[in-house]
Amino acid sequence: MATATAPARASGPGRPPDRGRRNRLDRALPYLLLLPAAVVLGLVSLYPIWAGAHASLTTYLYGRPIAGAGLQNYTDTWHDPVFWQAMWVTLKFVVLAVVIETVLGLALAMLVARDMRGARFIRLSILAPMTVAPVVVGVIWRLIYESQTGFVNPLFSSLGLGAPNVLSHQGSAFYGLVFVDVWEWTPLLFLVCLAGLQSMPQEPLEAAAVDGAKPVRLFFNHTLPLLLPVLAVGVVLRLIDAVGTFDQIFVLTGGGPGTATQLISIYAYNTAFNFTDYGHGAAMLIALLAFALLLVIVALTLMRGAARRVSR
Amino acid sequence: MTSRGGNSIQVSRRSMLKGAGLGVAAAASGPLMYQACKSDGLNKTGAYDIYVMDDNWVPEFAAGRIVQSLDKLGLKANPDILSKGLDQGYWPPKAGARLKAFANDTPELFALVIIDDCNLLYYDKRQFSSPPKTWDDIYSAMKAKAKPPKLYGWSARGVKGNPVVQTYLPLLNSYGGNFCNDDWSPGFAGPEGVGALERLMSFLPYMSPSTPEFDTDQETALLLQGKCMALTEYTGTAVTEIDNPADSKVVSQIDITNCPSQVKPGPAIGTFICGISSGTKNAEGAVKFLEWFTSSRIQLQFAQEGGSAAVTKSALTDPKAVAKYRWLPAIAQSVQSSTPKPRTPDEPRFEDILGTQLNIALVDALQQKRNYTQIAQKSLNTAKTQMAAVLQQHKNIYF
Amino acid sequence: MTGRSRYLRWAAIAVAVLFCVFPFIWMLSVSLKRQVDIFAGPTLVPQHPTLGNYSSLFTQYHMGSYLLNSVIVVGVSVLASLVIGTPAAYALARFRLPWGLNDHALFAALVVRMVPPILLVVPFYIILARLGLLDSRLGLIMIYTGINTSFVIWMMQSFLAEIPSDIEDAALVDGDSRMSALRRIILPVASSGLATTAIFAVIATYNDFLIALTMTSTPKAQTVPVGISTLIGKIQVEWGPMAAGGIVGALPILIFAFIVQRHFVRGMTLGAVK
Repeated sequence: MATATAPARASGPGRPPDRGRRNRLDRALPYLLLLPAAVVLGLVSLYPIWAGAHASLTTYLYGRPIAGAGLQNYTDTWHDPVFWQAMWVTLKFVVLAVVIETVLGLALAMLVARDMRGARFIRLSILAPMTVAPVVVGVIWRLIYESQTGFVNPLFSSLGLGAPNVLSHQGSAFYGLVFVDVWEWTPLLFLVCLAGLQSMPQEPLEAAAVDGAKPVRLFFNHTLPLLLPVLAVGVVLRLIDAVGTFDQIFVLTGGGPGTATQLISIYAYNTAFNFTDYGHGAAMLIALLAFALLLVIVALTLMRGAARRVSR
Repeated sequence: MTSRGGNSIQVSRRSMLKGAGLGVAAAASGPLMYQACKSDGLNKTGAYDIYVMDDNWVPEFAAGRIVQSLDKLGLKANPDILSKGLDQGYWPPKAGARLKAFANDTPELFALVIIDDCNLLYYDKRQFSSPPKTWDDIYSAMKAKAKPPKLYGWSARGVKGNPVVQTYLPLLNSYGGNFCNDDWSPGFAGPEGVGALERLMSFLPYMSPSTPEFDTDQETALLLQGKCMALTEYTGTAVTEIDNPADSKVVSQIDITNCPSQVKPGPAIGTFICGISSGTKNAEGAVKFLEWFTSSRIQLQFAQEGGSAAVTKSALTDPKAVAKYRWLPAIAQSVQSSTPKPRTPDEPRFEDILGTQLNIALVDALQQKRNYTQIAQKSLNTAKTQMAAVLQQHKNIYF
Repeated sequence: MTGRSRYLRWAAIAVAVLFCVFPFIWMLSVSLKRQVDIFAGPTLVPQHPTLGNYSSLFTQYHMGSYLLNSVIVVGVSVLASLVIGTPAAYALARFRLPWGLNDHALFAALVVRMVPPILLVVPFYIILARLGLLDSRLGLIMIYTGINTSFVIWMMQSFLAEIPSDIEDAALVDGDSRMSALRRIILPVASSGLATTAIFAVIATYNDFLIALTMTSTPKAQTVPVGISTLIGKIQVEWGPMAAGGIVGALPILIFAFIVQRHFVRGMTLGAVK
């Protein structure tokens, strides 16, 4: 980075101060400041994305590129029933998890919104699940769900219900995974809603309450519309991250039982790294990226539509 | 040398190696090790001289010349080594289906076996009047004596993919089915394969209902706590766990014999096997080391000191070793009656396909408690179709 | 508000807190049990508490190496990304660039943040393999620096944009150059934003699993999350050490978050209410 110091020159009698040199430096400065970052970002993001796209257009055999493939990898993926199965599982998982997290996060934020005793402790406890590594989250819930060493089975048995053996059945494994994601990420939506609630202007609400509006109407007509923009940010962030969920599944189920928890991320990882088929793996992931973008667009459109309808 | 950590068989080897002045680099788990070896071999970086490989890496590493031909390097294999264990290191394989490009090649030795890991039958001798020989023996014993959940008749790995396939292979082989036939077509969807899977399902009422989530540790935990009559597993459980009071409540109560047979014996074999990297700078030293390591004297030491799965006949039948470690003769028997897995780099993928369907079949069978034939046929057919699709995709390699 | 609804509210909060915290307590409990006790039956308080799992973590399972690697990799990459990203953020916050470059650049930074890491993993692997940087701390540092830089730009841009330019202009009129104004005036004021950004970057980098998993293969370079996953081996799952590993993996971050809580929450607030 250029460091230039141009001390102000005393101007001569009757002449304006010489700002020419400093002006040129000023003009160049932003680009100089941006340059290192641009290089780094280019290397770390743009080049890999390009390389990923390139890999998706190449045929790999046992880890080695052997030929250009054109769109063959994409065609193969399109015709692969396991891929579509994984897409379906991903969609179910993401929608279910994010909706539940949003509702719960909002509810929790409204409960905690006012200043109260122990706010710091409450906040930190609620934040804990999302602060620790997703791998650790996987370990934690593995220790809970596991049929012989966890406490879910004995808990259910002691309540008179049958032992669920969560990881042994497709349905329960899937919903168990959704539950883990909700546990882990509701805190994020909680934080986002909390921030939104705390920065909201209170007067319109108070005015409406004085006018005799019931709490439910208050919420839907006033609070929610004001909250929606902030909420949208949280939901979009969550959608993008949820599509790529990997660590917890890797630890908990490896994609099973059967294909019940095999999201695209797991399937693509196996294809690329365990079957060393980088070409197909890359094609799947590019498809996943498109899918994530699609989800984001749909979500934003829905939220904007809801905002418009409610504020009428 | 690269080696897998965490397995005490490896640990005892490692201390010998350190004593011999060799460094050992250990990777903490199989898939990570595989990546490390593969990139070292492909790029010929020569960071390692010897790879301690898992058996199913041999096709890929040999075909891709990630390891070198031991015959060409002049290695003389000890004739005392059990022949079927030694065969695992040949490429192309001496028997079974071959990749098209290697169809007419003479098999050369590319890797030397150092641990003969194979399926064994572990059974609680208090529950059996004599060692069970066939699957029918096992079944009638569990019908008579099993009382789940206090005493299960059988325990198995159920997790999708590789684990459940290991459970299934001894059955499939002994019923006369094949993972892949000699022309690569899937050989498990016919009456033999379905019969084998049905047999496993018939055990389900005497097994833990959480079997679909079991991997080795949960499977063997039941046996080690005295809650299970029998199971098939690889040799590690014998060597490290059954007589170890820290792990086992049934010290000295578990006997080991060859896997049960039906129309023929069925154990699958999966060795730990050493290749010399293609980028090594010390091929001569590596050859000498491997010859020394698999010599009858050293293998005898392994058998006598730890009861580990040595590779020579003399070590596994040595009276002193056998007196201390009763499973050694079973290992010898099992190896010589074993069936190798398909020799192709796609083998992990095939295991994933078959293993996913087997897992689904078990879950369905546990739920429905009947219709075993239907469930078995359906899932094996699905696996067959998916595997055939992969074979088609790579048809110029296979056909 | 009625007494009953107050009571209900507190009850709901208590349930939420318990729900969030209990799984950690369970993991702590398992980490203090011996293997045979773990299978004996689920009890909350270990009957024969032992620290054996923790000691075997360090003696047998290389946890010391993992921790060292994590500390080095996280420290260096976050520092580097702050050094590279903050000036860029400053440029985007202060200068009106032609052709809407400000918005384009911010959007690019956002897109980078948006891409699921799983997509970048395959190309990263191929690139590092070609550079011979697989299984190395340097390779990890390079990747993390790149990812964090986009995040730093994104966050710092909004912090810096909040600082009114009057302060700076005053300094400029007094004869300072842009750079020294940045150094003397802006940075101290933006220190809170820097802290918040650094905190998020540290947490995200320390917790990363996928990239470390695919780029490393031995304790030479593996970080804590990968180290924990190796305990979930296939042949023998050591439940006790696995739980201990989870505690060791979670504890540094939780303590860290507790200490910097104020910045943490404020940062989320700021980031969300953009």
